[in-house]
Amino acid sequence: MRGKVLHAVGLTAVVVFSLFPFLWMVAASFKTQADILASPPVWFFTPTLQNYTEIFADTKVSGAIINSLIVATCSTILAVLLGAPAAFALARYEFRGKSDLWFWFISNRMISPIVLALPVYLLAMQANLLDTHLVLILIYLTFQLPIVVWIVTDQFKSIPADLEQAARLDGADQFTIFRKIYLPLGAPGIAVSAIFSFIFSWNELLYALVLTRRNVQTAPVVATSFMSGYELPWGKIMATGTVIVLPVTIFALIVSRHMVRGLTMGATK
Amino acid sequence: MTFLRLDNIRKNYGDTPVIKGVSFAATKGEFVVFVGPSGCGKSTLLRMIAGLEDVSSGELYIDDRDVTYEEPAKREVSMVFQSYALYPHMSVFENMAFGLRMAKKPEAEIKAQVTEAARILQLEALLDRKPRALSGGQRQRVAIGRSIVRHPKLFLFDEPLSNLDAELRSQMRVEIAKLHRSLGATMVYVTHDQVEAMTLADRIVVLRAGLVEQIGSPTELYDNPANTFVAGFIGSPKMNFVNAKVASAAGDSLLLEHPTFAGGKLTVKTPSAARVKTGETVIVGLRPEHLSVNAATPVLSLTLDFAESLGGSTQLYARSEGEPIIALTAGRPDLKPGDVLNLGIDPRHIYLFDAAGLAL
Repeated sequence: MRGKVLHAVGLTAVVVFSLFPFLWMVAASFKTQADILASPPVWFFTPTLQNYTEIFADTKVSGAIINSLIVATCSTILAVLLGAPAAFALARYEFRGKSDLWFWFISNRMISPIVLALPVYLLAMQANLLDTHLVLILIYLTFQLPIVVWIVTDQFKSIPADLEQAARLDGADQFTIFRKIYLPLGAPGIAVSAIFSFIFSWNELLYALVLTRRNVQTAPVVATSFMSGYELPWGKIMATGTVIVLPVTIFALIVSRHMVRGLTMGATK
Repeated sequence: MTFLRLDNIRKNYGDTPVIKGVSFAATKGEFVVFVGPSGCGKSTLLRMIAGLEDVSSGELYIDDRDVTYEEPAKREVSMVFQSYALYPHMSVFENMAFGLRMAKKPEAEIKAQVTEAARILQLEALLDRKPRALSGGQRQRVAIGRSIVRHPKLFLFDEPLSNLDAELRSQMRVEIAKLHRSLGATMVYVTHDQVEAMTLADRIVVLRAGLVEQIGSPTELYDNPANTFVAGFIGSPKMNFVNAKVASAAGDSLLLEHPTFAGGKLTVKTPSAARVKTGETVIVGLRPEHLSVNAATPVLSLTLDFAESLGGSTQLYARSEGEPIIALTAGRPDLKPGDVLNLGIDPRHIYLFDAAGLAL
């Protein structure tokens, strides 16, 4: 009984610790500037939609969210479309250079992104791709592919090889085996990698800042852009933050059932 | 008529030979069992027939067609895996229908075939279930159902009963035997269990270390084992072996010496007596079930170490040099450890092997 109480107290502490900043952001987005800056903080206030009407009146924010959606969705779809077949090959076939290829995928994530920012900027400029959706989709793809390939390869490896052989004897070709056996059974891993990819693209700030100007600024770039000038419009920043977090939260909730299954997979055989 | 023919089949993994030249033929409708200890290559051989493993050299014919390098699906064989290998995300119906769907059969035919297979295997009530909602025996039945719906030319079984408990195993063994009789199909079955081999097979292929030790019907292998390996492998409990010395060879009789024998000596009659010389070693094989207790003219005179009662019969372990001598006797003889065992045997049941282990 005492253990249960302690357990509950511990869990509550973790939940409060994780959710408080989020609550603070959402609450602040409904406050006036005076309430936000009040000291001691105001816990009970009259909510206002002022901040939201202001940011939605500004086409910059809605445009940025649309840009973010385009870039994150396209790069995630591409990463899964390209990564899942690659993972199938890595999980099931023996070929020359397999381990090198595998290491190459891992080594992609060993470099700090900022090291590549300047070369990538120069490349994009030469190719006339600055300030386009395409450049962000391509650069995010290079970060997402390793994530998808790792997670999905691992998932595919956990599928017994006997299933593939049974399907071969049943007359299925490689593509059918991939589509009818590996994709459905690997769905949890694919869902997890898609969530990670989407969140990565959605949150990414460095390359979005470096490679875009006015046309394709993404949501994080716009949120930080409020921080320039002579005042800090906290209400607008918090409202934008809330709007940015919303789509990812919804996306994660939708696929979370698969995500939990995927993350516990392999824990028990 | 030869239906399945293996012609000097070899398999190497890198520089390591696993199958070292296996030749063998089976007629249509025959039930062939590959048996041998773990690592003898029996599963590899089966998977080569299925096309799941490449053949390093040699030829493989199914129904007079060279399929050595043919795709698995085009060999018209089906296989039941040790792990069952059911598709976990598909219902029982879809598991059985998968092969027919791949062959692009019309929906009505698929339904008819699967329903028929489900009827034979008593799976009708389970068609909508997923494999995880089935018991081991039911999964095994689905795996068999999946292999029969396509009416393959050849059925392959890779240790299909090894994941089942003893009772279910003997039950499924009977069902497989019935299935073989009703379908009249050619079947190749791999097992390490000699009881399965003896009860199911028309013919047994005994394998060891990638080579065929002997091919024959269960009774042939039991009555005339080609060597000590086959003699020891077929039959349970295992055959007793005594390494005796030839004291003299005259005509068709041999006088053998070993302390285990009653009086230290044993005379046996054999037409191959001329093949051994005085002073050489001869291995004498005695099956536990052929030994009789309290014989009038004992062959072996030993001390009882301990006895295991199996209810209807009793297994006696007698002290001897090396491995204990085992005798199987009906009923429950009134014997205590330390008692003298006078074991007799019908001379026709004495097996003789030369020093290299080959039958004399």
